[in-house]
This record gives sequence, C-alpha cells and structure tokens, in this order.
Amino acid sequence: MSWPNADVMFKAQIIKKRRDIKVNVSLELDKGSSLGLFGASGAGKSTVLACIAGIEEPDDGSVKLGDLQFFPPSLPLHKRPIGYLTQEPGLFPHLRVSENVSFGIPKHLAAEKEHCHWIETLRERLQLGPLWHAPASLISGGQARRVGLARMLARKPPLVLLDEPFAGLDRQLVRELIDDLIFWSRTLGFSMIAVDHQAEVLKRLCPEQALVLENGQIVQRGGWDELYGTPASPLLQSLLTPL
Amino acid sequence: MRVDRRWLARAGATIFALALLYPFTALFARIGPWQWGEDVRGPALSSVRVSLLLTAGAMVIIVAIGTPMAAYIARCGTRERLLWQAVLLVPILLPPLALGILLTLAFGSYGTVGAWLEHFGIVMTNSAPAFIITQVYVGIGYYVLGAVAAFDAVPLMLQKQAALLGLAPRKVFLRVTLPLARLGLAVALSIAWVRAIGEFGAVVVTAYYPSGMPVQLWINLQSFGLPAVMPLLVVFLAAALPLPWLVHVLAQRRRHV
Repeated sequence: MSWPNADVMFKAQIIKKRRDIKVNVSLELDKGSSLGLFGASGAGKSTVLACIAGIEEPDDGSVKLGDLQFFPPSLPLHKRPIGYLTQEPGLFPHLRVSENVSFGIPKHLAAEKEHCHWIETLRERLQLGPLWHAPASLISGGQARRVGLARMLARKPPLVLLDEPFAGLDRQLVRELIDDLIFWSRTLGFSMIAVDHQAEVLKRLCPEQALVLENGQIVQRGGWDELYGTPASPLLQSLLTPL
Repeated sequence: MRVDRRWLARAGATIFALALLYPFTALFARIGPWQWGEDVRGPALSSVRVSLLLTAGAMVIIVAIGTPMAAYIARCGTRERLLWQAVLLVPILLPPLALGILLTLAFGSYGTVGAWLEHFGIVMTNSAPAFIITQVYVGIGYYVLGAVAAFDAVPLMLQKQAALLGLAPRKVFLRVTLPLARLGLAVALSIAWVRAIGEFGAVVVTAYYPSGMPVQLWINLQSFGLPAVMPLLVVFLAAALPLPWLVHVLAQRRRHV
C-alpha cells in the first residue's frame, strides 16, 4: 500500500480542555524517528494520541502529516494514514485471526501476490501461524496484542501511535513485542509516537527522544540521559526512580 | 439436610413456567370433540398462509426501515434519542383497537394518504396492503427499540478501530457494526414477529379480510364455538413459534462460543 506524503515530517499542536486539565502540547517528528510521551497517569498523554488519531477532537491547534491536514478541519478517521495500537487491541471478535490481520487491506489489493507475501511475512515473524484460523474471541490477551500489531502493520502506515500497548503483559512478551516493533519501524521506516508510564519500556521503544507531560503541559523534552540526569520536576524524578 | 441452592432456583423456575403455561391446560378442557372438518380446515389453513406470508412481508419492511433508523438513533445525543424513543413508544402504548381505528381513518378512502393510494389502485382497507401496513405499525416500535439496544452494545472503539484501518463509515457498518449486532437484531425481529403475527385488535379493524390466524380464531369462535378454536390454536402455535424460538437457540449457541 502506498500513502501520499509518507516521506514527510509530522507536526502537531494539540489543545484540548478536559474536565480536570487543559492539555496543550506541541510536537514534531521526522520520518522514521520515534518519540516517547512520558508522565504520570492522567497527565494527558493518551489524550494527545487520541487527538492525533481522531478518536477525540482537539479544541484548537493543528495536526499535519506532510501536507495532509488531519485537523482543522477534522479529517475522517478512515483517511488518516496511521496505525493506532492501544492496551485493548480491539480485535473484531466475529472474525478469525487471519481476517483480523488482513482487515484493513482493500479487497482489490488482497489477492495481489506482493500483499499475500507481506501478510505471510507478518504471520511468520509474529509467530501467528498456530492461531491463524482461530476465532479472535478465543485467543489469549498476549496473542491478541500480537494480532493487533500484525493488523496495524499490515497497512504499512507511515505514522504509528502506541498507547500503552504492553500494559499487563509479562516482561518476556513485552521484550519480544518491543523488538518486533523496532524491527518493523526500521524495515518499514515508519515514525512512532508511544505513550507509557514505565520509563524503561518507553526508553527501549523510543530511545531517541522523550517528551514529559504534567497536568497537560510539557515540562521537559530531550534525550533520556538528560531526563535521568536533570529531571525537570520532583514528580518526574520520582517516576524515573526504580521501585 | 442441606438443599443445593441450584435445585431450589430450578424448582422456583419450574413453578414459574408451570404458572405461565397453566392457561394451556384449557386445551384439554371438556368442550366436546374438536372440529376440523372442511368448513373449518379450509379457512384455517388459508389464515395460516395469510398470516405467515403477510407477516413475513411486514417484517421485510420493518427491517428495511427500522435498521437504518435504529442505527441513526444509536448515534444520537441523549436528548434527540429520547425524542425518537418517545415517538416509537406511541404506537406501542396505544390500545390495538384504537390503533386500528386510527389506521383505518388515516389510510382509508377519507385519509389524505389513503385517497392518494387509491388513485394507484391500492386499497388500504380489508386488503393485503392494509394487513401488512397494520403489522408494520404494530411491530416496528418493538424492532427499532430492540435494534437500538443491539447497536448500543457494539463497542464504539471497535467501530473507530475499523475506521482507522481505512474503512469508510458505510463499510464499518456492514463489516463490523451489523455483524456484531446481528443477534440482538434477530431477537428484536423475533419480538416484532411474535407481536405482529398475534395481533388481533388492530387487524380486526383494518383487515378483517384477508383473515389472518387471530381473526380466524375469532371467526371460528363466533361461528362454530370453542371446538373449532382449539385446533386452530394448536396450528397457530406450531406456525408462529418456530422462527422466534430458532433465533433464541442461535443466540444461546453464540453465548457459549
């Protein structure tokens, strides 16, 4: 699948008033780079991702991938070339695993040799073979995350948004999934914005740069060494301290 | 002695079921031999045909109009939704006889729509169209209210996820919303079916002919007495029950997947 403007920079300013806080965040991302959004629960990290994805609508600001304007005006969800993976992978329970993975591929492309090969590659790499024909409603939580990842990657989106996609999984599986994501981001060249409240997960997934939110505002941005060396607030210091 | 609680619950449910089915013991009442001669059998079988065919026709209309309406209501804000739900409750709340009278006046020769339809040769009293339109009015409120609940039960996030995978709204509805709501929709349809096929009060006013099963029961009672009612009652149950029961069987199977 080819996307228009896939080789360009992503730029967003999100202003969104929530019941408890006002989120005001601006961020930029080069092609193929990654950004970790870090902060305590309720800091507004997921709101930022939801506004970029179009799940929520910002009150103000702008979201742009190259010259494709997401907002304003609000671009319909199906026209946004993004992958969005959350804690709840949102598999379609009435479909089999294989149907879930190829769900986002248009019918006229699905039969093409190149796409069949691509889906086969995903199946092998993410170890979905034994589950391939199982109903999505009958697989475990960890397996569902793998399927969700495969489904997202199947469309080869230029921008991937990850909202705590590893929450509740064992460390081994988290390691495997992070390695998979890094492998695919290098192979496919997509940009990645990830949210997590575990610094070690985020650091491994997005080693280049991080952006720290507190009460909807950016309190620090930069490399992880900088964050660990001179944390901008006592709360951040506390979040970075191992248990 | 300790009694298993499950057995107590089962005993309670059995008493409930017996009480619910108690009126059917009247099928064995001593009312003399049941009448199933040609003069009873012919009209009775004809009424079965009328009821099944025309109610099926009404269900097609109910599904065609009611499904998009329900999908729309399911996406409305609270205030607008309450307004539509109030509108749907009106034909349900109305005594069936009153609904029949209103339908006859509105769709008969003296009503605006009725007069207009007559220009095209469509007679809206004592006709198949009159029978169908009455069934639609009787059943559509039940279907739409049930269908709204079925659509509500489909997680919004799944629909948004499908859109983020590149599906336009119409395709999201066809590939995600509709399949996930289908059992709820089937149950809503079964309720509409049961309600419509058993309707007497409204149909007796709008479409005495062609007689469906409920009206034929009334005719049999008036013309031949109880011995001619009982066999038709059994036929009625045999003809009307399988479809909604099958839907519940399917729903039950799905629940245990």
